[in-house]
Amino acid sequence: MDILISSLFAGLLIGMVLALVALGLNIIFGVMEIVNFAHGEFLMVGMYTGLFTAQATGMEPLLTLPVAAVVGFLLGIICYYGFIKFLIRGPMVAQLLGTFGLMLFLRNIALLIFGSEDRALHHGILVDKSFDMGMGVIVPATKLTAAGLSVVAFVAVWLLMNRTKIGKALTATALNAQGARYMGIPTERMNALAWGIGGGSVTIAGALIVNFWSVNPFMGLLFTMIAFAIVALGGFGSVPGAFFAGLVVGLITEIPGIWDFFTYTFNFDWMNNVPMTSLKYMWVYLAYFVIVVVRPRGLFGWKQ
Amino acid sequence: MKTAVRFGMVVLGVLAVVGLMVPSAALAAKEIKIGVIYPLTGGAAAAGRELRAGAELAAKIANNVMTDISMDMAKNSGIKNMGGAKIKLIFKDHQGNPTIGADLAKKLILDDKVDGILGCYHSSVTKTVSAVCEQYGVPMINGTSTSPALTKRGLKWFWRTTPHDKWFTKDLFELLKGLTEGKVRGVKAVPKKEIINLASACEKTEWGSHVSDIIKSLAKEYGFKLKKSLLYAAKSPDLSSEVRSLKAVRPDAMLFASYTSDAILMVKTLKAQKAAPKIIWGQDAGFEKPEFRSTLRDSIVGILTRTVFLPKVAQIKKVAGQVNTLYKKNTGNDLGGASARAFTGLQTGVHVLEKAGSTKPADIQKAANALKIPGKELVVPWAGIQFAASGDEIGQNVLGSGLIGQYQKDKDGNLVLEIIYPFDVATADMIFPFSF
Repeated sequence: MDILISSLFAGLLIGMVLALVALGLNIIFGVMEIVNFAHGEFLMVGMYTGLFTAQATGMEPLLTLPVAAVVGFLLGIICYYGFIKFLIRGPMVAQLLGTFGLMLFLRNIALLIFGSEDRALHHGILVDKSFDMGMGVIVPATKLTAAGLSVVAFVAVWLLMNRTKIGKALTATALNAQGARYMGIPTERMNALAWGIGGGSVTIAGALIVNFWSVNPFMGLLFTMIAFAIVALGGFGSVPGAFFAGLVVGLITEIPGIWDFFTYTFNFDWMNNVPMTSLKYMWVYLAYFVIVVVRPRGLFGWKQ
Repeated sequence: MKTAVRFGMVVLGVLAVVGLMVPSAALAAKEIKIGVIYPLTGGAAAAGRELRAGAELAAKIANNVMTDISMDMAKNSGIKNMGGAKIKLIFKDHQGNPTIGADLAKKLILDDKVDGILGCYHSSVTKTVSAVCEQYGVPMINGTSTSPALTKRGLKWFWRTTPHDKWFTKDLFELLKGLTEGKVRGVKAVPKKEIINLASACEKTEWGSHVSDIIKSLAKEYGFKLKKSLLYAAKSPDLSSEVRSLKAVRPDAMLFASYTSDAILMVKTLKAQKAAPKIIWGQDAGFEKPEFRSTLRDSIVGILTRTVFLPKVAQIKKVAGQVNTLYKKNTGNDLGGASARAFTGLQTGVHVLEKAGSTKPADIQKAANALKIPGKELVVPWAGIQFAASGDEIGQNVLGSGLIGQYQKDKDGNLVLEIIYPFDVATADMIFPFSF
């Protein structure tokens, strides 16, 4: 029973962080209907920012979040004005290939600067500490804190989008850019802001994740794929949808643990021989495939 | 007289023209090009750096007379039987990718016209590269890939110097058996029921999946219960679900086959999840890398790793100590399992060339099959190098052997690997049971 509870708990915790990863992708798509293939690379930038800021200044890794947010925000703005602004004038294929190129560019820049080695944080008040929650559930302090801060960041972005004039202007741009322009909303700035908020939220997620996972220049693709799955499941453009889908995807990554529970409960030998752990991300992509086929607008997506 | 002078002038002229036409390279000692394919970037880049440094040091010793190194290779400048021909290494980076490895091998053979290939560390890459070498009839020496299947394919152009995983894994089970029989230094006989439950996690490429299969079969043979055996992706950013799965069966010993970054992540996750096996054993690779030690520091005290070389070997074997001093001067690190075996791989190539006296593939093939290098020539603690020329493991060195080391702290508080197995060369008491 303890493996079931600990797997569910771990799934929910990591789901909260993954939801924050997907949030930026969701906002950018919601406002501009452009798919950012470089999203995972933005996360990588956030991880490196958190890592090097903590290492260079000796500060507590969790305190690097504002630095990562600023770096991500600026990166988003620079990408928009320097690249995306021109890209959106072209056809859809050009946009897809363009952000794919941005992905390769950021990855190779990181490779040039940081090298290919995995780097990880080894200091901080939470690193290497865990809480025994009872019933066999042991939660690493870094993951628990990252999940909590992800929820805080998520709520902050939700409030920004729903309770401020800027958020309403972003929503208006997302719903009808031309109409918004007629109403005096500077849609170009709104687009840039969407990239800024998208970049900032994913780099915050990166600075949280680097507390428990190592970083290398090649890790972006996995997170881009996971973020796509979350956005597709939650619905393109839906902030609550991204949060809910993040939790679902987090639980999906813990299917091997749930499988183990049934294996040991029913004592089926054949279940023990199924290589569930080596297939754990397959279930995420399968869920992505199913949702795209069965309900393309996702669970909470806007109707066109 | 005039005619004789004219004839002499003509002869001199012809000789001068012919002399100018002969390329200068033919007059100089020939250069022997060896393609070296290692993972110089990607997840195993740290291992790649070690491998490269090991091979480069061997080439340096082969190309120069070094009287302070007690090995035949250091007595001559270049290959003596080929007029002092120098070894030139051409390094290529396979990034841990078998397809890239095969492409690089083709380029080395067709464009660079190499005389032989050394590599590739990852068994999966060695598999594809050796297939290319077989296709083109180019000799390949492998010093560091340990998947048993590599020498079971009947290849004619492939020779492996390192012992393979079946031998290494058997060493582990001999150690477990020795624990129950009280043979381990510093540990009283442990009742078998206290260490009977095992769990293994291996990365899922060619190497790890074969180790996993070997653990399964040897656990059965030695009467241990393998309660959980799983494969995982070495590039996975998170291994917590794997660790929970291992913990769930409450194993007495956890066995791993991991590359560097995943070995570090695995141990960090085990610690974070408060896993409490009595034994943690790693199948070399990541568990022996300098990064593993420098990253995890004191938390790895008590972890076992199989290896083929430990700095302690340098203390008990003169030639190993001499080479280790040079290696440390170049890199700042002691020789490790990867670098010592890369060194030995190239050293074997040099001996083969010396015996063949030419770079013709057929001569090299004949020389390799008849080669015998005595153990005193090697930095690794093997009985020597001699390849099986028949049977079901053609090309496998039959004189190799392994070691099992344990991370311990020395008197000065430094982290060192002590030899625990073979029992007769143990350098310290074993720490048992393990705890974080």
